[in-house]
Amino acid sequence: MMMLALGLSFSAFTALSFAMEKHQLELHGRQAASVTRRRLWQLAGWALLTVAFALSVVDHGWAQGPVLWLGAMTVSGMLLTFGLYPYRPRWIVPVAWALPIIGLLAALV
Amino acid sequence: MDSPPDTASMNSSSPTAAVPPRRLAAFVAHPAWGVFSRSMAAIVGGYALAAMTSVFCAVVWTGARGQAVLTGMLLAILAAAGAALWAFATRSAVRAWMGIALPTAVMAAVAWLLGAWT
Amino acid sequence: MKNGFRQSMAWLHTWTGLLVGWLLLLIFMAGTASYYREEISRWMRPELPRSTVSTDAAAGRAVQFLQASAGQADTWFVTLPQPRNPAMTAFWRNPEALADPSKGRRGRFGNATLDPASGEPLQSRETRGGDFFYRLHFDLHYIPVMWARYLVGFCAMFMLVAIITGVITHKKIFKDFFTFRKDKGLRSWLDFHNVSAVMGLPYHAMITYTGIVTLMIMYLPWGVKVAYPQDEAAFYAEAFGGMSEVTTVAEGRATPMPIAQLLDNARAHWKGQDVAGFSVTHPGAANAVIDIQQRDGRRLSIDTPALRYDMVSGRLLEQTPASGAATATRGVLYGLHLARFADWGLRALFFLSGLAGCLMVASGVVLWAVKERPKHAKRGRIGFGLRLVDALNIGAVAGLPIAFAAYFWGNRLLPLGMAERASAEADVFFYAWGAALFAAFLWPRRLMWAWQLYIGAAAFALVPVVNALTTEAHLGVTLRNGDWALAGVDLSMLAFGAMLALCGRRMQAWQPALSAAEKKKRAAAAAASASGARA
Repeated sequence: MMMLALGLSFSAFTALSFAMEKHQLELHGRQAASVTRRRLWQLAGWALLTVAFALSVVDHGWAQGPVLWLGAMTVSGMLLTFGLYPYRPRWIVPVAWALPIIGLLAALV
Repeated sequence: MDSPPDTASMNSSSPTAAVPPRRLAAFVAHPAWGVFSRSMAAIVGGYALAAMTSVFCAVVWTGARGQAVLTGMLLAILAAAGAALWAFATRSAVRAWMGIALPTAVMAAVAWLLGAWT
Repeated sequence: MKNGFRQSMAWLHTWTGLLVGWLLLLIFMAGTASYYREEISRWMRPELPRSTVSTDAAAGRAVQFLQASAGQADTWFVTLPQPRNPAMTAFWRNPEALADPSKGRRGRFGNATLDPASGEPLQSRETRGGDFFYRLHFDLHYIPVMWARYLVGFCAMFMLVAIITGVITHKKIFKDFFTFRKDKGLRSWLDFHNVSAVMGLPYHAMITYTGIVTLMIMYLPWGVKVAYPQDEAAFYAEAFGGMSEVTTVAEGRATPMPIAQLLDNARAHWKGQDVAGFSVTHPGAANAVIDIQQRDGRRLSIDTPALRYDMVSGRLLEQTPASGAATATRGVLYGLHLARFADWGLRALFFLSGLAGCLMVASGVVLWAVKERPKHAKRGRIGFGLRLVDALNIGAVAGLPIAFAAYFWGNRLLPLGMAERASAEADVFFYAWGAALFAAFLWPRRLMWAWQLYIGAAAFALVPVVNALTTEAHLGVTLRNGDWALAGVDLSMLAFGAMLALCGRRMQAWQPALSAAEKKKRAAAAAASASGARA
């Protein structure tokens, strides 16, 4: 469940960063997404964070669940901001898909 | 940070005016004293505020004594942090001390009236 | 202050951070290492067997051992094997009359580490293991424990203020949430400090406040003195109300029930939760009682419930009463700080968050020096303050990792039979740190950074090698056996070594940024030579 929480947080943060104009310009320059698309990214991001919270609570209870959720956000946020955006921006989207899938497989096994 | 105010040019220009009083005035007016004073208010005053907060809660809180004491301690930590912020946010060092000493004194008075130190 | 609110908070943030930053780095690093203190302790005692015996069998062995070796004791304490700590510890207290006078206050106590399979005491090298780091982070070392705790508490309050003022001062906390601009000097250091702080904000705020809470009774005894003027012991009884004091020992002896049965009763009562350990008061007497402690489960609180049974009849006598709200709150805060409840996944997240805290503090003190340097460059020489900060930065940020690695080297290389071995291992840590600080003060330059980082990298990366040369518990064996705890320690050493080497490389290869005038000159020269070539 830790891997799944981590994966979903990473994807959520990816979406939330895509909702910001400065990161759109950074990644896509003139093809930066429109305001409406960015709103959708924002919605997706918050939705993914909510799912991550729900799964953490289901798995670890109401006491430890939120703790897991916050820890997953800390680590995935740092991975995205220190690792991917500055050094491997092209990996962001593939990793945002891969991590939750790996997490899901790990949780089911 | 701010550079020290140029008091030398503000004093009268009489050539027989003693140099030591001008330098003493400049020394005492140095902003570092303000910083020192606020730091003392934050650290010493802040601890006093925290101590009195814990005493105040222990005496005032309704319910079991043990719970009141523990609650006081948990809140006192936050009070100390708040005192530090106040000491440096407020307009002058004097206000820094007042803003910490006054609540401390009020809590002490109420606690004493409720029999804290009898 | 004359400045605005945000500016005065920025000033306060700088100074609360800088004045205690280096000590905080020690506290944070040692505290972060403590998340894995059980694993580190296992790694540092490679002689200990890794047995997988049932809790009940282990408990039975412990009772057998205690009946043979500590039959006269008035209290026994047993910590049963846990998944992260397979050794079993037994601790006992003898009656006053039988105390060993040569040992002073400790003369009444005895302890042993037992093999859960055989019940025999284990022999292993004398070491404090991971507990050294745990104690270091609040008791420091070489100074009286009380002074250390006041000092650490003082630093923690500074840290708390630094966190609050940091949030107030960070104008673009949401806009810059994902912003890290690399290779831009001061800008990059500031971004790094901001992101490591903000991403870990729930953790940093929690760990700092809860850290102070763990020692708050020592820091703020005034409420206790006022509410319990004659009888302070009553505070502890009321606030942390455990079960009642056990009465005097009965005259007759009686055979106790089998321990396995008593533990089963407890598990049944708790609907499945397992047992962490137990204590027996007046073992062997007719009124012997056993207090059985529950293992940390899904709760956050440090206070785990216990059940008291009559050891002879097996009757449930008492259980820990429900806590008051403040006691429960304090228990949760304390529990969050220690994170004993954390499973492997959550523990890894705590550890990584702790590392983020170390990076936040380190980048903060370095950032100050980077910001300060241009003012000194204008004057042509480095002032005393900046020189001092530079030296402390190198000695703490690069020097502390050397000390941590040296501690593990000491564990493997110090003679097994030497006297005071455990404190010698601690001395190795401080000798290494002292040497790093000394060198940093001698020559606080960029290359000293690089060299210390490289030495730290080598020191860490070679730990698994030293391990392989001196023990049978190296990666070749532990990976094959699936002993992830021990393998994890060695692998982490390699990871830290790689990370430090990378930092050392970047320090060594760093070039100062060209000034605008210099850039213009070079551009003009390039254009001139290009047009010269064309003509």
